[in-house]
Order: sequence, then C-alpha cells, then structure tokens
Amino acid sequence: MSLQAMDSSHVALVSLKLEVGLFDTYRCDRTINLGLSLANMSKALKCANNDDTCMLKYEENEGDSIIFTFADPKRDKTQDVTVKMMDIDSEHLGIPEQDYAVVCEMPAGEFQKTCKDLSTFSDSLNITATKAGIVFTGKGDIGSSVVTYSPSSNTDDESEAVTLEVKEPVNVNFSIKYMNQFTKATALSDRVRLSLCNDVPVVVEYPIEENGFLRFYLAPKIDDEENME
Amino acid sequence: MSTKRPGGASFQPEVKRKRESDEFEQCYVPKFEKELPATPKIDKTGWARPAVDKDLGITKSIACQVLEVETYHEDGSATTYDRTNVKLYGVTKAGNSICVIVTDYFPHFYFQAPQGFGVEHIQTAQTAICNMVASAKRRGGSGQNQLPGKVVDNLVHIELVRGENLYYFRGADTKVPFVKVTGSTEALHKARMELRNGINLMGKGPVNVGNLYESNINDIVKFMAKTNIVGCGWIELPAGKCQILSNSEKSSRCQIEVSVNVKNLIVHESEGEWADIAPIRTLSLDIECIGRRGVFPEAIKDPIIQIANLVKIEGETEPFVRNCFVLGTCAPVVGSNIIQCVNEKVLLEKWAEFVREVDPDIITGYNILNFDLPYILDRAKVLSLPQVSHLGRQKDKGSVVRDAAISSKQMGSRVNKSIDIHGRIIFDVLQVVLRDYKLRSYTLNSVSYQFLSEQKEDVEHNIIPDLQRGDEQTRRRLAQYCLKDAYLPLRLLDKLMSIINYIEMARVTGFIMPMNLYKSWLQILSMMLRRCKQNNFFLPVIEVNSGDGEGYEGATVIDPIRGFYNEPIATLDFASLYPSIMIAHNLCYTTLLKSPQGVENEDYIRTPSGQYFATKSKRHGLLPEILEDLLVARKRAKNFMKNEKDEFKRMVYNGRQLALKISANSVYGFTGAVVGKLPCLEISQSVTAFGRKMIDMTKSEVERIYKKGALEGKCPADAKVIYGDTDSVMVKFGVENVAQAMEIGLEAAKEVSKIFTPPIKLEFEKVYFPYLLINKKRYAGLYFTKPEVHDKMDCKGLETVRRDNCPLVAKVLGVCLEKLLIERDQQSALDFAKRTISDLLCNKIDISLLIISKELTKSGDKYQAKQAHVELAARMKKRDAGSAPRLGDRVPYVFVAAAKNVPAYERAEDPTFVLQNNIPLDTKHYLTNQLAKPLARIFEPILGDRAEKILVEGEHTRVRTVVQSKVGGLAAFTKKSATCLGCKSVLPKMESENAVCKHCEPKLPEIYASRLVTMHELENHFGRLWTECQNCAKTMQDKVNCSARDCPIYYMREKVRNELSETNTIMQRFGDPCFAPPTK
Repeated sequence: MSLQAMDSSHVALVSLKLEVGLFDTYRCDRTINLGLSLANMSKALKCANNDDTCMLKYEENEGDSIIFTFADPKRDKTQDVTVKMMDIDSEHLGIPEQDYAVVCEMPAGEFQKTCKDLSTFSDSLNITATKAGIVFTGKGDIGSSVVTYSPSSNTDDESEAVTLEVKEPVNVNFSIKYMNQFTKATALSDRVRLSLCNDVPVVVEYPIEENGFLRFYLAPKIDDEENME
Repeated sequence: MSTKRPGGASFQPEVKRKRESDEFEQCYVPKFEKELPATPKIDKTGWARPAVDKDLGITKSIACQVLEVETYHEDGSATTYDRTNVKLYGVTKAGNSICVIVTDYFPHFYFQAPQGFGVEHIQTAQTAICNMVASAKRRGGSGQNQLPGKVVDNLVHIELVRGENLYYFRGADTKVPFVKVTGSTEALHKARMELRNGINLMGKGPVNVGNLYESNINDIVKFMAKTNIVGCGWIELPAGKCQILSNSEKSSRCQIEVSVNVKNLIVHESEGEWADIAPIRTLSLDIECIGRRGVFPEAIKDPIIQIANLVKIEGETEPFVRNCFVLGTCAPVVGSNIIQCVNEKVLLEKWAEFVREVDPDIITGYNILNFDLPYILDRAKVLSLPQVSHLGRQKDKGSVVRDAAISSKQMGSRVNKSIDIHGRIIFDVLQVVLRDYKLRSYTLNSVSYQFLSEQKEDVEHNIIPDLQRGDEQTRRRLAQYCLKDAYLPLRLLDKLMSIINYIEMARVTGFIMPMNLYKSWLQILSMMLRRCKQNNFFLPVIEVNSGDGEGYEGATVIDPIRGFYNEPIATLDFASLYPSIMIAHNLCYTTLLKSPQGVENEDYIRTPSGQYFATKSKRHGLLPEILEDLLVARKRAKNFMKNEKDEFKRMVYNGRQLALKISANSVYGFTGAVVGKLPCLEISQSVTAFGRKMIDMTKSEVERIYKKGALEGKCPADAKVIYGDTDSVMVKFGVENVAQAMEIGLEAAKEVSKIFTPPIKLEFEKVYFPYLLINKKRYAGLYFTKPEVHDKMDCKGLETVRRDNCPLVAKVLGVCLEKLLIERDQQSALDFAKRTISDLLCNKIDISLLIISKELTKSGDKYQAKQAHVELAARMKKRDAGSAPRLGDRVPYVFVAAAKNVPAYERAEDPTFVLQNNIPLDTKHYLTNQLAKPLARIFEPILGDRAEKILVEGEHTRVRTVVQSKVGGLAAFTKKSATCLGCKSVLPKMESENAVCKHCEPKLPEIYASRLVTMHELENHFGRLWTECQNCAKTMQDKVNCSARDCPIYYMREKVRNELSETNTIMQRFGDPCFAPPTK
C-alpha cells in the first residue's frame, strides 16, 4: 500500500510505502486508487488505542467509504469507523530514483535534535558533506549554530553510528521549517537516511521495519537574491 | 523578501533579455525617407469652423456660450493703471469660437471698518494702502522701480459699504460699515499682507483691521458671482458697445476676439432660448508610442508613432472628422483619413497644426490628462518643437504640464497632472468615470464593456513595436486600434451624457466646467457668494485647522429585527431629508445664535443637538433660501423635461435636475467639512440630530396609529417597524399582498407627515416582498412600486455590490437571491450554492471570477502593513517591468495555494501568470474566506445557525481536483507516472504506454468515447471563444492579439487552450483509432 501527497506550494512531497509483509493479512485484487482527506483520516485513526489492531476495508461495490476497524483483543472490543472518500482528480507524480552523491545514515533522534537546534537560529539549513564529514549549518541574525559529524570509527553500536558514503562533495540549502516537520516521523524508526545531491531534492527516508518506508522529498531552497544577478 | 517562493526560475532570462533590447533599440524606429515625401499631403476638408458673419458686433449683437474663464494681469502705464482683466472663451450659436476680453472689472475684498472710520478717511486710507502696496511692489524687485504716479495712486480703490458677517444672527438689522478694497489681483494680494501688519488708515498710527472677508476666494469665482455669469451660460454683447479686434490685434487664435466693458455685458438665465447648447466641438485623441521591451514608454526616449483624432459636435451622433497621423506608410482605413508622416517631427507638427485648425472647445480621450497630453508635450520638448506645445487659443502661451495633488474624501488623494491649454477644456473620460462610478477596473476596455457592452482588442505594449516594424498592413492594424481608442471615449461621453450633465452642473452652481471635475465644495461656495452678494453678507476668511477636528454623530439606524420576511414590507422615506430639515428649521449661518434670545419656539429654536437658531419670523436663512430655490428649480426642470419633445433638450433638462439634486444634497456636507471654506458644525450637527429624532418619531407614530383593526379594520395586525436607516423606515403591516401594503403605506405617509414641520414630508415609495433583512445596512428584497409586477431586485450592502471581493461571490449571491426572492425556491437556491462550491473545489470556476482587484495608491514602503496587491506589484515588476502595474492602476490578483501559515500577501499572484504556469489556486481560501460568510448570511435566516456548516462541509465538497503547478521547487524534478484513464490507478512501468489498466480494458471503448466527447467539447468551446474575440477585434483573417486583463473571455480562452493541449496528449495515448478487433 502506498500513499503520496504534495504540499500545496509544491516544495515537498511525502511518500509512504507499506509492503505486503507489514500486514497480518493483505488482500488486494487489483491496483486501485483511494482518495481520502488527511484531516478526516486522522480523525478515524485517533480512535485507535496503542495496542489495537487496525483493519482497512474497501469494497468496490459498497459505495464511497472506507471502513477502519479497530480491534482490542484483550477486551474483545471492536470499533468500526467509516470515513467517506473523496474523488480526487490529480496527476500522479513520482520522483525517479537516481544516484545520489552523498548518502548519510544517522540516528533519527540525532537528526531531529540537530534540526531543532538549528531552527532556533535560522530558517534555512545548509548541509555540506565531504569525505571528512557532514556539516549542518544554521546562520541567522542572532548567531549561528554548526553541527559537524565525522563518520563514526567505532562501529560497536550500529544504531548509534553515523555512516557516510560520499561520491562527490555536496553543498545544499533547505528550508528548516519543512525539515522540522519531517522529523516528526522520528518515532517510526531508529535510523534516518539522507540522500543528497547538488541542486536536486533531498530524500529523508525513515525505514519501517524492513518492509516499508516513509520518504520525504524536499526541493532545495532557491535564493531570490542569487538569481537576480 | 520571500525566499521560499519557488518562482525564482522565471528570473533567469533577464540577462538574455538585455542583449535583445540593445539590438532592438538601434532599429526600433524604422525609417521612411525613401517611401514618403517630406511633407504629407493632407485633406483638410471640414476642419475649419464656419466663416464669421462680418456684421457681428457692429450691427448685430454677439451671443455666446461661455466655456472657459481666465484672468490675466495688465500692467499700468502713464495713462492707465494696473488691472486684472478677464478673458471668456466661448462659442456662438453659429459655431464660431470667440474670446471676450472683459475690461474694468476689479477683484475685491472687505474688512470691517475700524472704530471711528468715516467717509472722510477714505482718501487717507486709499493713499496709505497704495503707498504700502507700491513699496511692497518695489521690494519685490520686478525691475519696475519707477512706477508712474498714476499707477501708484490707483493701485487700489476703497469705498465704504454696509454689510454683515455671514456667521451668527445678531439682530434683525445689524449691517455695519465695511471697507471694500478693489484693485488688481496682485495689488490686492500685497494689500492683504500689509493689512495684516497694520496700516495707518486714519492718520493716527497703524490700525489692525482684524479678519478679512472674501480675500481667499478665487478671482474667477468672484468675477462670475459679481456679473452673474454662470459656467456654460449665455452672454450677449450688444452691437456697437463692444470692440472687435482685428487679426493683428488679436491675442488669441479664436475666430472672433472682442473687448467689452463689464457694464455692457448682458447675462442670460439658462432658460428658454438660452437653455440651448452651442455647437461645441469635442476632439477625442489617442496616441500610440513605441516602447522598448520590459519598460513602459518614456517620453525622453520612445517616439510617438500614431495619433488618432475624432472631432464631434455636441448633440450629433457621429464625428465629422476622423483621422490618424501615422509614422510611416499605412494602408487606408475605410472612413478615416490616414496621414502618413515621414518622421516623428513632421507627425507632431502636422498634428499640432490640425488641432489649431480644427479649434476644439473640449479635448477628451482616455487618461489624456496623465498620459497622452503630457507625453506629447514632453516629446515636443525632447525634439525641440516649440510650435507643438501651442495647442491652446492663446497666441503667446504654450501649454505646460504641472503636477497637482488633489485630495478629497470622495476620491482619496491622488496626484494628477495639470495642463493648461488656454481656452480649451480638458475633459478626461477616465477622470469622469473615476469620480462618478465605482468599478472593479478602470481600463478603457472594461469601462467600455460596462457601459457600452463593447470591447476592444487590448494589445500588450510589447506587441506594438512588432506591428510598427512590420509593413503597411500591420501599421494599418495599429491605426485601427488607435482610432478605436479615440472613438470609445466619445461613445462613453455620449452614453453617460457626461458633457451635458457637467454643463448643467456648471449652470446650476454657476461655476465653470473643468473645475467641477474636482471641487464640489467650490460649487456651493459659488452659490453662497451669489446669494450673499444680494443680501450684503460677507464671507469671512476662516483659518483652516487641518487637524482632525471634532466629529459629530451621524445618522441613526434602528436596530433591525433580522429575518426572512415572506410578506410585504412597506417603506416610508423622507424626501430630500437633509435639505428639507434645513428649510423647515431655518438652519443657516445667518440664523445661528451664540446664546438664546427671546422666547423659545417663537424667536428661536433649540435643536436636538443643543444649538440655537433664530426662527423665520426673525430672519430667513440664506441656506434655506438657496435650498428652496434648488428644489423649486428641480421641480421645474422635471416639468420641462416632461413637456419637452426634443430628445436632446430632454437630456439637457434631465442633466439639470440631477445637478440640482446633487447640489441640494451637498449643502449639508459643505457645512460639515471641517477643512472646507465655510465650516459650520453647528448646522451639520443639528441636521443629523433632527434626522435621528424624526426617524424615532416616525417609528413610534406608525406603531401607535396602525394597531390591529385600525383604518376600519384594514390593519390585520399591529404594525411593526422592523428596520430604519437615515431617511427611511421599513414597516411590517401584517398584510398579505402588495396592494394592501401600498394602500396602508400611502395612508401612513400622509398621516405621519402631519407631525413634522413642512416641507419635511414622508413619502411612500415602495414595498419589499419578500424581504431578507440580514443586518444593519444589509438587506435584499423584491422592489414593488406597483402592485402587479416587481420593478427589480434591490440589494443593499451585500457582496453583490461591493468591490473588495471576487466577482464569484457577487455572482453566486445574485443568483441565490434571485432564486430566493423572485422564484421563491429555497431548495434550488441552496442547490445552486452547493454546486458552485463543488465547481470551485474541482477547479471548474473561471479564473476571471476569482480575481480581486485593488488600487495601487502608494508604493510598498508607504503602507503600514504588507498588502497583497502591493507585494504582488513589486514581484511583477521584477518579472517584467513593462507590463507591471503602476501607481494608480488597479492590480488584479488571485490567491494561490501555499504552505500553511504563509501570509495572504505572499499568496497573491497575477492571474495571467497563474494561467500560464498552471499554478493551483487556493480554493479553500476562496471557500472559507470569501464565499462562506456572505452565503451563510443569506441562508442563515432560512437554514438557521447550521447554514455555514452545511455549505462548507456538505457532500458536495468531497470531489476535488488537484492542479499540478509548472513552477515550484519540486516541479522540475517530478515525473508524471502514467495512470489508467479509467480508474486512475498507477500503471506498472511495462504498461505505461497503454491508455488503461488491465482491469479497465473491457471498458476501453467507453472511456475512449467519453474522452473524445470531452475533447470535442473543448474544441467547440475554444472555437466559440476565438470567434468571439475575432468579432470583438473585428479581424477575421488575423491572429487575435488581445490580452485584456479584465476580459473574462481572455482568461477563458487561455484556460481552454491549456486544457485542450493537455487533452490532446491524453488522446494520443489511445493510439490511432482502428476497427480491428482486440488482438487478444
């Protein structure tokens, strides 16, 4: 099952993929497109408790709604939430896979903290990656903050390591506001992977239990000033 | 500056563009020396005015209509003295232009005679003032150190008169001695300065004379008041008592120039024979200039390539001269004279000759005041052609352009150019429309559409160079545009009857026409002055304190009982409320009392706001007299209109009665204008206070009399006043049909009027049925003046009539109200609203309906807060400075989708840019911020409080279309993946060439058919739009060049063009149609 949405100003795109392996049972007869309002879907999901199992059901002949069934096995309770679908007429956009110059993996929490720290100084985030390490810089009127990671040498604890694959150095700018929103997904995964290339959208990927991922694409920030010259 | 705005990419071509324009500059003015002779052949038939009757002024008296008045100074010599003469420009009945020089008129001012000043002091005082003025004149150092003794002695004259200050009632006859000072304008100005410092008037040391009277009033106003000449009125110069000047003596280019003593001037009332209008010549012109790309034409560099001219006689329908001066060769245009000029210099010189030859009285056009005329004059300066600036009737004076800042409550403040073309009136149609009509857009195109239901082909500036550089055919096309641009203003003037209305306004208020365009207070002042003259009241000079002065309470509004009334609601109005209050209660400057004297209600009255005024038994006020005259005159004009058979004369009378109405109503405003010439808040306060009291009295009276069973049982229920505002009350009588409501309404108006002092009168005018009362000043209803059929749907204060929102709101509201009120079908109204909302979310609404426009009045940094249209204008300027809006333009914009919390001013975007780049609109914003509230307001009385929720969240909001922008951060990187045309599912890579997925394959023919239908529909639609544009542009063989930013069809055409090309690509996915059975 995959989900895709783009923000209305077309700067960021989110793509969620849940492979069949993630589900207890999964049945889908053919590729089908379902339109849902995010606001309404989150209303449905809020009904669920932490340990509930959730079943999504859509029958082609049963009109225009999706049924979310939450089952609490301990209490033998089930809750059905029906959400009306929307008929969304839009083009399906994908970002083609490509070779990134830099791929960096680091602990998700670490990335979240870095973004949060820098955002207090600046609304733009500069990432510079070389073989020697990756540098996150936030420069603002009140000062600046620079976070540098060198590729971890001790690989004892794999989940704490920062790994860096560099084909060629990269220097890019992004809006930190979007980054902060992306890091809300930290809870999904221990690790985060950043794929970077000059003048190409960054990919921020949170793997989901080997069987899926949540990816964010963010267009590099274009400075109006530079362009004016 | 917004850095996250993804529009950056569009700035890149900047560098390339510069290079292009360099090349362009070298060759943008083609040369025509080979093709054309140095001086063009010109057919001048019909240009000249009719020949002059030789007997005029000698055996026949000369009658002429006065159009323009100016004063000029004449220096004294050994035999004469300094004087200010007046020149009147006008037209005779035969259509000859005339310039009348009026001699022996002297401007004046007054001051109150100091204590003990008697006849014996006149000589002393006059000598004293003359000497002071003379020495001031010498100090001024104008090289006239030697003033002849006769000049010095006669710089000013003084005499003793009896009169009274206009303000306050001091007793029945309290005329006191005043000193009247006359002399040339210049001398009076100096005398005023000197008097302020004190002058030795009676030989006993300097005397301070205190406040001056009437010294701050324009000489022309004073001259006209004194001689009783009214603007556009007729004067007569008796034969033998005037002196015709020979050609060599003439100072003007008029056919007749005559000098006359002020005493011999006969002034006619504008009635009967003299209500007529002379054959006034109106010239309408338009210029085209060639611009460089990306820059608005600048007079310093960019030449004029065409000037189109149409000349018309007022009252005739079609112009008698149509020509166009063209730079270069140009194919002929049917019905117009094309004058081909070899270069710009010849073009301008020949054109100026044309203007002088055809001798128009009025020069009109669209925005000629701020663009065309200044441009021509600037070009003349750049090319050093002094003759071109001599467009006026004054031989020795060229025309000059100045900046004039104008600010009034009515029009806001703006900077206009001021040009004097001596003896001719500049009557810019744009200024007229700006002043008199509230529109969303003021381009010539949209104004013509509004009033004439006619459009023109609106060509962007950057196409003009291409047309000019083309051949004689493309230049012919340009000439056609140019002629059309000159023709439309004439049509507009005809349609709006502006010239006639302004002429009548001038006759009513006594002021000359051009000034009327800007200063309504001058009109009242002019009327006051005339009236005061007769009664020997003098207007004091009042120091204007431009501070925020004390305010006063306005009109009252009775709290509305809101709801949807499906029953007749009768409306009782006070006829001309404020004027009749002033008449009834004798409110005037001259009756105002500082403290009460005598017996209340007999000698004086106390107004509800606590001021005291003398009653009529003590003194008739001037304002009430003026107002009475105006109202009587209006009644008479209406009568004339009824009995007049000649269409043109009827228009004249209609213009007059309108002018009278406007004038009567502005008297109240004049007294309340704190920065005006004669403010008197006591009057305006009292007027509104009376108004408030009367509304309340009407309410209680109506509710007291018309109880259930009143009028012999004709009243089925107690009458209830459900709403009242300023001068009207809405009454629910509880009757069932309109006829009954009218009967009781008429009766009530008559009955209730009895409690008020005449001429205050309640009138019964209309019945609303049904009536939707939303809030204070917001209501709608079906308007009945006769019981059988309704006259119209009347909406007040609703979004249908406001301009600060998009046209969609007005349109939807209009239709919904029609359905509610006329068809009385609530369900269908609701359905319509829902359908529109659904269309909006599916992006099916035409973008032209979503455009909001605001006027760009100041540049960005002058605004306190950032505003959408200002920010947008700045952004557009970066993209292309040539087509970006300039100060004073209305900026059209739409809201585009953006990230959360992005302020509104960053979301505004140029509609054309949006269309070209397929930028998604912020439909949600339009729904919640624009549509939801107004719709909810009209549906609330019917659906209850849930109205808004039903509209915004109902079933109909669940189908949406998401538009993918062509610009934006990610746009460059994303790739469209092919989706099934049937079920929209993404197709696997292997099948991405196919039209549909495996699942939908059986339905392929069906899907193909439906897509084909869509495409045909689009093609059809596009064809129709294209034809419409061709018809509008009147070109069947050429490409349509129009990009009129306020024409709905232009946007539709662009949108359909985009959609069509998209659909075409989709159709290609089906492959070539074939009849072979599926291979499987």
